[in-house]
Amino acid sequence: MTQTLIANPPQNPTSPGSERPAVEVRDLRKTYANGVEAVRGIDFEIATGEVFGLLGPNGAGKSTTIGMLTTTITPTGGTASVAGLDVAQHPLATRAVSGVVFQDSVVDRPLSGRRNLMTHARIWGVSPGAAGAVVSSLAPAFGIVDILDRPVATYSGGQRRRLEILRALVTEPSVLFLDEPTVGLDPRIRVELLEIIAMLRDRARMTIVLTTHYLDEAERLCDRIAIMHAGRIVALVSPASLLAGLGKEIIELHVHGSPDEALRVLRRDGVADQDAFAVGSTLTIPIRGRAGVDAMAAIQAAGVATAAVSTRQPTLDDVYLQLTGDRLAA
Amino acid sequence: MSSITAPITATHRAPVRTNARSHWPAALAALAQRRLSLSARTPREVIVPLLNPILFAIVIAPALAKLVGNRAGFDYMTFAAVGAVGLLVPINALFAGIGVIVDRDSGSQRDLLAAPVPRSFLVLSNLGVALLTTALQVSALIVAVSLRGASFQVSSGGILWFAGGVGLLAIGMYGVAETLASRMQKQEEYVGVLPAVAILPYFFAGSLFPISTLPTALAVFAKILPLTHAMALMRYALVDGRAGGLHDIWGAGDPTRLAAQSLAILAGFAVLMTVVSMRMFSRKAVQ
Repeated sequence: MTQTLIANPPQNPTSPGSERPAVEVRDLRKTYANGVEAVRGIDFEIATGEVFGLLGPNGAGKSTTIGMLTTTITPTGGTASVAGLDVAQHPLATRAVSGVVFQDSVVDRPLSGRRNLMTHARIWGVSPGAAGAVVSSLAPAFGIVDILDRPVATYSGGQRRRLEILRALVTEPSVLFLDEPTVGLDPRIRVELLEIIAMLRDRARMTIVLTTHYLDEAERLCDRIAIMHAGRIVALVSPASLLAGLGKEIIELHVHGSPDEALRVLRRDGVADQDAFAVGSTLTIPIRGRAGVDAMAAIQAAGVATAAVSTRQPTLDDVYLQLTGDRLAA
Repeated sequence: MSSITAPITATHRAPVRTNARSHWPAALAALAQRRLSLSARTPREVIVPLLNPILFAIVIAPALAKLVGNRAGFDYMTFAAVGAVGLLVPINALFAGIGVIVDRDSGSQRDLLAAPVPRSFLVLSNLGVALLTTALQVSALIVAVSLRGASFQVSSGGILWFAGGVGLLAIGMYGVAETLASRMQKQEEYVGVLPAVAILPYFFAGSLFPISTLPTALAVFAKILPLTHAMALMRYALVDGRAGGLHDIWGAGDPTRLAAQSLAILAGFAVLMTVVSMRMFSRKAVQ
């Protein structure tokens, strides 16, 4: 069960005064040497200054997409450009205007945080003075001023991740790629990092591409999200639009017997619309134009044998389930 | 743990270059300094490769010299000391390759792969540091064996031949190390092949005896080993002005011409392995 929900491109894919989107992807594909089709022809544009989320479970193709946009993975088809630069034809220039924070910790642990930052800056061609100014202005906000001169090996996971984000910002990239920046971190550190990323939204002209399988991150941070499933984009809209598609409330129904048959009965009786869906023994039924109590009474009247019935607000997980039949996050 | 204390307000715009090569020398220097800092914080990378050759040169070589005496017209202890250089250089190069794997597994290699510089810079910067540590180690070895009683025939020309031989051998062997490190997924796998690659040629390359004493087939094999050419060149430079080792390889001829021929072999080895290692690194680094 895979549906596709692609909204029209953003009304303003380019910022005022700029001619191109910050990121432009056309029929991008990647098949690895072992035959795995990680990305199967995706298209999207990201406006300058937009925070764009690539959402999907492990194996959906998110990191491969980021790898192709940052030139560490070679596409096998299609085109992609970052800040107007074709990633295949101008890889060095593309890297010069990009910053990446990787899913795993990628840092020289024996060296100090400051040394990591300044080495990165020099390799990107940023003068020590300019890099020092960025570090001085951002390190307090990242809460790592006091530890910058300590070896990174002594940092906690959250401190290391903040250092990596700061490192990516030292060169003031036009496009910042954050590949699962909060994965593996404890909840408190995760919340702090989300605050940092939210603050980055305010930085002028910086476009942020964020991959995640945490729905709350996408809802909180992203202007638009692309939901990826098995190497394809199955939805490309704003989080609010996605949620609006399921209405304000849904009924979750655990049924005895065949869920498909129960769904057929409920549709026949007008209790469920075509956007209701079944995963396992659970039916998810968006409610529109009626109260939850009335809908539950209608379900009872339809004679469907239920084990449990509840109402709640829809989440992006419901959208993902509806589109793909899979859960987004464990 | 520190907490977030202030909002991000500043928006410094650093001078990011989009297509400029002017910062490449500085970037290469930064990469080399980074590698040097990492090596300096990992003393085993510098000290461990030095242990066996230096112990060989100051303990075993003098003992063997007592047994062998001065039959070939030169001091055997000094002869064997140069052989220890032929052991040290490959071991050091192969140890340096471990740093590449550590960088890939738990260092910042992925970040560097996303840098706006050619990826071959990563190999070149590592090579530069490997050469520096080799120079320091060989110097330490020469000083140690000199203090132990080895006597070298030092001349400016000899020093140049010696430096050329050691340098090109080190470049070639580092290329081998980098190539192996790129091909092998695990550090354990790499450490497993290290002795075979670093030490095995030592037994055939005339380290402890002239290759003319080997059976014909082994002597032919020895002549194609870069280490044999390096050893003959180093001995011509510091020990044996008659160039016995070079004659064993090339036959009769002007020693200077023969030395140049062996140097050319080493240069070819160095260039070949450097190109192979850079290509292998770039190919393996990008999926």
